[in-house]
Amino acid sequence: MIWLKSVGIVLIVAGCGAWGLFAARSLERRADQLRELRVSLGFLEKEITFMFTPLSRALEKTAVFCQGPVASLFSESSRVLQLRQGVTVDEAWSAGLNYLQICSDLAKADILLLQSAAGQLGMSDAAEQKKLFQLLQEQLHFQEERARADIDSGKRVRAYGGFIMGAVVVLLLL
Amino acid sequence: MQPSRHKVFTQIMPYLSPAVACLLEGLNGEQLGTLEEIRLRRGQPLLLRLDQRELTLDKHGRVHSNLSAGYRITEEDMYRTLASISDNSLYAFEEDIRRGFITIPGGHRVGLAGQVVYQGQEVRTLRDFNGICLRVAREVKDVARSLLPVIFRGPGGGAVSTLLISPPRCGKTTLLRDLARLISTGGEWGPGHNVVIVDERSELAGCYRGVPQLDVGPRTDVLDACPKAVGMQMAVRSLSPGVVVTDEIGRSEDGEAIQECIHSGVVVLSSVHAASRAELENRPVMKELLALRAFAAGVVLSRRNGPGTIKEIIRWDGI
Repeated sequence: MIWLKSVGIVLIVAGCGAWGLFAARSLERRADQLRELRVSLGFLEKEITFMFTPLSRALEKTAVFCQGPVASLFSESSRVLQLRQGVTVDEAWSAGLNYLQICSDLAKADILLLQSAAGQLGMSDAAEQKKLFQLLQEQLHFQEERARADIDSGKRVRAYGGFIMGAVVVLLLL
Repeated sequence: MQPSRHKVFTQIMPYLSPAVACLLEGLNGEQLGTLEEIRLRRGQPLLLRLDQRELTLDKHGRVHSNLSAGYRITEEDMYRTLASISDNSLYAFEEDIRRGFITIPGGHRVGLAGQVVYQGQEVRTLRDFNGICLRVAREVKDVARSLLPVIFRGPGGGAVSTLLISPPRCGKTTLLRDLARLISTGGEWGPGHNVVIVDERSELAGCYRGVPQLDVGPRTDVLDACPKAVGMQMAVRSLSPGVVVTDEIGRSEDGEAIQECIHSGVVVLSSVHAASRAELENRPVMKELLALRAFAAGVVLSRRNGPGTIKEIIRWDGI
């Protein structure tokens, strides 16, 4: 019977520890994804303000340019826009953000920040679009810096916290 | 002179807000076939111009001639239509918006109304759009065949510079487009010529991203969105045209450019707004051009038997 209990203890501690490590890793991933987003928006800005590429095509090109979950924001927005049927950029961008929220490690505040651009994206002249992208990139840079600052402290808390929580659960069960 | 039902469904409806497109689906084949214009004005009834009639549709898609029964265009309808027309990319159409219209695939022209923003002496942009006028492009092949004997002086004879004269909506642009196609293609009236269309308002060739959407013939070059006077000079200098085609002349610089074309041996086919010969001859620029015998022939058009009805043929060359 003791061996069964031992296996149970190991499984609980390992499970909670793995969850903690995963949560700790997601902090790093969030910072990387914010950086990827910033760079991708820079690419999109150039497509819009220098190349005057129509938005659906510009989003498609940006999706190819960037990597990981961030690409899903641009590919999904582009796909929805290309359906036409009176779809506005606001709706297409929101569809892309829903996708991004599911498959990325971004915080709700990051998604809300990106959502704030939805009403203005594409629907003004190039000079206004440039201002919008510069502001968005600045804000993302700020979010990224905060995310990086959170990594050191948060990573340790989450990694150790997982194992500690596992141990607490074991003690409570015993 | 009818756009097909299929054309309206595939080329125009995807650009309208879903609410408006849904209403248009209620039109029958004959009504869609004679559709010339769709007008959306914020807070006003949806307006359709079908041939000579002006109609509206109520919220159930039923046709009415009484405008007060019509479906009122909402701000959302305007926004969604504008978003579709511009591919949600107003920045990519800055030049077009400055000129007041956007051409969509198929060569259909979308006129825009809103607040005009001025910078210096030039229009910088339009914003707060309150009106959209979608004009259905009509390509009618061979409609201009009846004009060829006026333009070509007998078998093997060369073409002469000709002016199409009419008030708006009498089919000048459709005839000019078909003339360009016929002259470019060649036939029993003579071999094909190099034709240059100077298409200041993107109506003749209906270019979308530089590519003509309407058939203008195999030997035709298009200077799209180019001011007429500048375009005619560019054409003569660099494209060695036999014929230059341009729409709605009237400014003094147009007159000078036409003279330059004619002195270079290039035939000019053009159109001008005037209801009659007398009205035409009262316009200073035209008076000067006619005195110089710039045009050999003129064709006055009307809508008496539908657009493109020939009302009068004028010979200034005495033939």
